[in-house]
Amino acid sequence: MIRLVVALLAIYATSAHSEYLYGLTGNMAGTGHTWGMNIGPSGSQSLKINGVFYQYTPVKNTEDDMVVHVRNKRFGTNEYIFSSKDDWSGLQGGIPITRGFIIDNLPIELWGDGSIDIEGTGSVTDANVVYSYKYNNDCLTPMSDPSCSGYTDAVLSMMGKAKVDGYDPLGDENIANVMDEKVELEEDLEQDEDEGDDRLEKILSSVDDSVLSANVITQNLLMFAMSHSGNMNPYYDKKLVGGEYKETVVLNGGELPDNKKGARAGLAQQILHTKMVSMQYDPKE
Amino acid sequence: MKKLLIVSLILAPHIPVYAADTPIVGNVQTRCLITTDTNGVYGNPLPSKLSTTASDGGVVPVIRYDVTLADAYLAKITTPTAFSTSPTLTDSVTWTGSTAVSKTSDAGMSGYEAAKVTYGSTTQFDLTKAGSTWFSSSSTAVYGVSKSFVGGSYTAIVLAECIAK
Repeated sequence: MIRLVVALLAIYATSAHSEYLYGLTGNMAGTGHTWGMNIGPSGSQSLKINGVFYQYTPVKNTEDDMVVHVRNKRFGTNEYIFSSKDDWSGLQGGIPITRGFIIDNLPIELWGDGSIDIEGTGSVTDANVVYSYKYNNDCLTPMSDPSCSGYTDAVLSMMGKAKVDGYDPLGDENIANVMDEKVELEEDLEQDEDEGDDRLEKILSSVDDSVLSANVITQNLLMFAMSHSGNMNPYYDKKLVGGEYKETVVLNGGELPDNKKGARAGLAQQILHTKMVSMQYDPKE
Repeated sequence: MKKLLIVSLILAPHIPVYAADTPIVGNVQTRCLITTDTNGVYGNPLPSKLSTTASDGGVVPVIRYDVTLADAYLAKITTPTAFSTSPTLTDSVTWTGSTAVSKTSDAGMSGYEAAKVTYGSTTQFDLTKAGSTWFSSSSTAVYGVSKSFVGGSYTAIVLAECIAK
């Protein structure tokens, strides 16, 4: 019974997660014979094309050769992800053609621009191209599922976008001053050997400041790295090494005799303690 | 021995007879399906005329043939020659009608229109391609000689048939 409940819950969770919404585009070829594939509700994720329907009326003379291609490029390539060809060569025009195709849920990311291309003599009128699609809203919030695109960015964004600047010693004003003064010092060292002690102390003081500053920055970076170790990946990548972990501690049997020496020491301490406690009740002399 | 004989006689009627009737079942899938895509409507542009033409205020009925086997069927469509329901008419009605291919699902079907055969009020198309074909049938009825139709509801039927070749 418990197994059945668990199985039903698992099925429910799976079906709830993969609940799709369906839709149809308008006429994509309404304003011309080429079109982009900006379809579906804005922000919808996992949009998949599951059908293409088109209709047009060929305009041609019967004796003319004409081939009409209705197609979509595969995004980023010169290949076609969908292509349908109607060969009107030697056939009369004027009668509308309507065709429908079932598509195997191809993600919208694969679909490039669509077009109606004509080879030969003739044209088409009243073109109508409609796509049917399905999508889910599970990834409208990218953090809802690690499989959603933008999940990592969203998590990092939630944790606080900290600007990490490394410590550049050459950009440190104190160091620069020290280097400048060191050059000057070398020039003046021979002339001002007596006065050099005071200036050297000053320079060393500045170096100490820079070292301290560098330490602070390093500490901050370390703290930043530790606080951002909450990257979610370890939660998903962590795996326990399989196998059997056997007990390694072995207790030997036998008698465990009383520790008489310890008992004597404990008893002596107890006597001493009692004696000390009793002393407070002794009449003062 | 006597007991054994009695038992044998009792069991004898229960020995099964080895004979059976074995049925043979077969199903034939429909390979030609006729569907009414659009119901027709008669407009009444003149008192004596009923017409499905759009310019006369009517709607042309559209019939779709879905054929899954190429070059196996004929589409036979007959436009009306009588009202199936109407008020009582006392004069004759002159009928005209025609059927044409209005839409196809394959470029090769565009030849159906040129190859159609018309006899009487019937038009016949040779369905040489598999797929869907839409046919529209127009119908006009003129009553008497410019005589007004009697008021009431008029219904006529377009007969669409799919005949195996």
